[in-house]
Amino acid sequence: MTRKRKLWMRLTMLSLFMLIFVAPVILMFLKSVSFGWSWPDWRPTQFDLRGWRVVFGDPRIFSSLWNTILIAGVVVMLNFIIATPAAYALSRFHFRGKAIIESLLMLPILIPVLAIAMGLHLTMIRLGLTDQVLGVIFIHLLPTLPYAIRVLKSGFDRLKNEWEEQGAVLGANSQTVFWTVMVPLMTPSIRSTAVLVFVISLSQYVLTAIIGGGTVSTLPMIYYPFFTSADEAVIASFSVLFALLPIMFLILFEITLRVYLRVIKRP
Amino acid sequence: MAASDSFATEGNQPFFHFYLELWRNDTFLSALRVSVWVAFISTTMALIIGLFLTRAMFRLFKRDDWKFIAWFPMLIPHFVAAYICFLLFAPSGWFSSVVFQIGWLETMSQFPVFVNDPMYLGVILTYVWKEIPFVILMLLPVYQEMDLRYEDVSKTLGGNRWTVFKTVELPWIWPISLEVFLILFVFVLGAFEVPALLGVTFPKMIPVLAYDWFYQAGWVNRPLAQAMMVILSLLAIVAAALILTFSQRWRYKWASRRDDS
Amino acid sequence: MKKIIPMIGLATAFLYGCNSSAEEEQHEDLMDADWDEVISQAEGTEVSIYMWGGDDGVNRYIDDYVAPALEEDYDVTLNRIPMDAPDFLSKLMTEKQADQETGTADILWINGENFRNAKNNDLLYGDFAFKLPNMDEYIGDEPAFVHTDMGTEIEGHQVPWGNVQFAFQYNADMVEEPPTTIDELIQWSIDNPGQFTYPNVTDFTGNGFLRHILYDVADDPAALETFNEEWLDENGQEIWDRLNAFEDSLWRDGQTYPESLSQLDQLYANGELAFTMGFNEHRADSLIEDGVFPPSTETVVLEPGSVSNTHYLSIPFNSPEPAGAMVAINFMISADAQINKLDPSMWGEGTVLDVSRLTDEQQEEMEAYIGPPVVEQEEILAELDSKYHDWIIENWEREVVQQ
Repeated sequence: MTRKRKLWMRLTMLSLFMLIFVAPVILMFLKSVSFGWSWPDWRPTQFDLRGWRVVFGDPRIFSSLWNTILIAGVVVMLNFIIATPAAYALSRFHFRGKAIIESLLMLPILIPVLAIAMGLHLTMIRLGLTDQVLGVIFIHLLPTLPYAIRVLKSGFDRLKNEWEEQGAVLGANSQTVFWTVMVPLMTPSIRSTAVLVFVISLSQYVLTAIIGGGTVSTLPMIYYPFFTSADEAVIASFSVLFALLPIMFLILFEITLRVYLRVIKRP
Repeated sequence: MAASDSFATEGNQPFFHFYLELWRNDTFLSALRVSVWVAFISTTMALIIGLFLTRAMFRLFKRDDWKFIAWFPMLIPHFVAAYICFLLFAPSGWFSSVVFQIGWLETMSQFPVFVNDPMYLGVILTYVWKEIPFVILMLLPVYQEMDLRYEDVSKTLGGNRWTVFKTVELPWIWPISLEVFLILFVFVLGAFEVPALLGVTFPKMIPVLAYDWFYQAGWVNRPLAQAMMVILSLLAIVAAALILTFSQRWRYKWASRRDDS
Repeated sequence: MKKIIPMIGLATAFLYGCNSSAEEEQHEDLMDADWDEVISQAEGTEVSIYMWGGDDGVNRYIDDYVAPALEEDYDVTLNRIPMDAPDFLSKLMTEKQADQETGTADILWINGENFRNAKNNDLLYGDFAFKLPNMDEYIGDEPAFVHTDMGTEIEGHQVPWGNVQFAFQYNADMVEEPPTTIDELIQWSIDNPGQFTYPNVTDFTGNGFLRHILYDVADDPAALETFNEEWLDENGQEIWDRLNAFEDSLWRDGQTYPESLSQLDQLYANGELAFTMGFNEHRADSLIEDGVFPPSTETVVLEPGSVSNTHYLSIPFNSPEPAGAMVAINFMISADAQINKLDPSMWGEGTVLDVSRLTDEQQEEMEAYIGPPVVEQEEILAELDSKYHDWIIENWEREVVQQ
């Protein structure tokens, strides 16, 4: 393949990606700042910030934003703490009935939330964890952990044993090997896990509503009811805000990750 | 909890009464049909398109900065994606407006029906758009770590593109593709938001039907809804166990074969 | 003195903890207490109102008017928790099963079948309505909606909050000669295929549309006064025939229906449909102002008339602050609060108050907000028993959609 052709193909692919994956979101942004935009106008004729005013006029918007970020952040951290050893074990050790254990670990995404909502709620009431942030964090582990375990496990699967052995031969203890060899090699999986878990936690409505009981207000709690209205400007504004959160999280996470890698690489 | 409620009986009905009733219920059967259809088509399409994009991407972009663009839909929650699909493809949506401006349409009712259609095209489209990034996310690392020397060997042995793909790439991506298929299939089968926004009155997808039965008409249909959920969960678990066992065997087989060579 | 009583109340609550008999005693005490005592008990409390949160105007009415007024007048803090009625009823149901005596909700916004479910499952606090002085002062004992809510005996378990009429909205640019009867509407949609539809009957508005068809089929509205199975057996087929007669000319050839009023509204707002509909005859005003509905939107009531619907406020069985809840509800049915609720720039919906009990000045204020009535007194049809609601849901999909 010639260089020029490759460059050209790259550009085509990039613009295709932009068109398919990014342009729709831009359209949504336009919708959020338009006024009375309807068929057959292909672009908005009047602009207005009413949608955004409604979003930021809600008295609970800032506490909800904070709650949402706090919960999602803690859920991401807990996921790493719990899923890493689980994924490592599943990847490295082979034992009878492993497939069954693996499918059990996937249960939370296999079983529809509605089916277990009541049972979960009862259990959480008995544990005294309802109507507070702690309970919501706990319950968000259900739909996130299976994904975290799967993604990290396939990361470990591809990571060959030799790396660890080499590290061990060179006299590093397993802790150091983990932080200096494995984490850098696992960067793609770590990044995917973090983003995936963050987005899943962010978009939980049913679980948050039941376990948080309305007292724990997150962004979906104020946003979701607007989906049962015809107010498209407000829906679009909330949607844009919703899309911005994970993007900001991704950027922040990426910076942290790069700083970490840089520190590690220093002799 | 759900299971015990679904077995609750009145008088001398057999304990699986609600399951029998479900099996005779046309609304349920058509919901099952359309759910499987949507889940199968959208998962297969996402997997195939995702696979093609991954192959192209990994050849074209050595550094992975740009793949964030392909990740984009993953950052969008499902119900927002459904809303975007509506904005674009509804008869009053953006594409329809553009086509009208070009002059190919006279009224909006001439625009083909993509959302709230009985074939669930809008739902499928949304799921494909949302799940492709997940497919890429799971497949790209596999490609990045794939030993491409095999590819050269296969090529020099005179293999055409398909044989190269079959002998070199497929063994690597097969187990993970199966897993991805499973995760997505089950997810689509059980997810509520997208069909609720873009579906039709009849036939409904199972999660929407379950929601109706849970909350409507004085809660009398709740045991039926729970029976339905139990069936769905059992199906999903059995499928998961099968697929995971299979993909593990496959992995061992290939791992040992590679060690031999 | 004022502060000592709640202190004692708190102390006893603390001493007895979650003991349910103590709870019951407290319940009795509050029911026997006179209103001044209730007010002083309510002082300094935080009260949560659980209500659907999908309308900016309604939300603003609560956040910008009711909450600050309650804070100022009674030292009661009102938190609005946006949640759908089926969701919070489910939550209460589970809490009931778990014997959770102190929940989180103090006020619920419900009516109709949700109220029936809540009452039949003992999810409500009890007979508190006539404890509230404003019930006597402004509403009284006479109106039917004080006693039954879609066929369910209220028995003081909830307090009326708003009264709305069913009306149709149409886009005057698309409809040259607006229909005046249901028959004309049906004829119009046959002549203009694809531009009319109604929401799925599981939606409250879609069900309301069918209740109008029921009224239209019935020669005498009295036949529907109570749930009349005989009448349904006789006339049921006529109802379905009527709907099937123009199903092919509905939006999407009647292959599918909007799942909710919001979807219908969106289709109308986008110009795909020429009609929308809904409870609350004033609802178009704020939607036009916000640029959601086209400015050419007009509201019309079709013969045989308009079903009126009342929605209510209630207190759940495990409310942590029942006294605060009562004070808040009492305020929400005061003349001031009800007049402000008419303001179309906020909520703009009908009052439950007996207008004759208001001062002339208050009556003028009301008139200034709503102008002449959209629905004439003789056009108002009584809301049907909620068993009709269920009957429609049970049969419609099979008889109309799957045909």
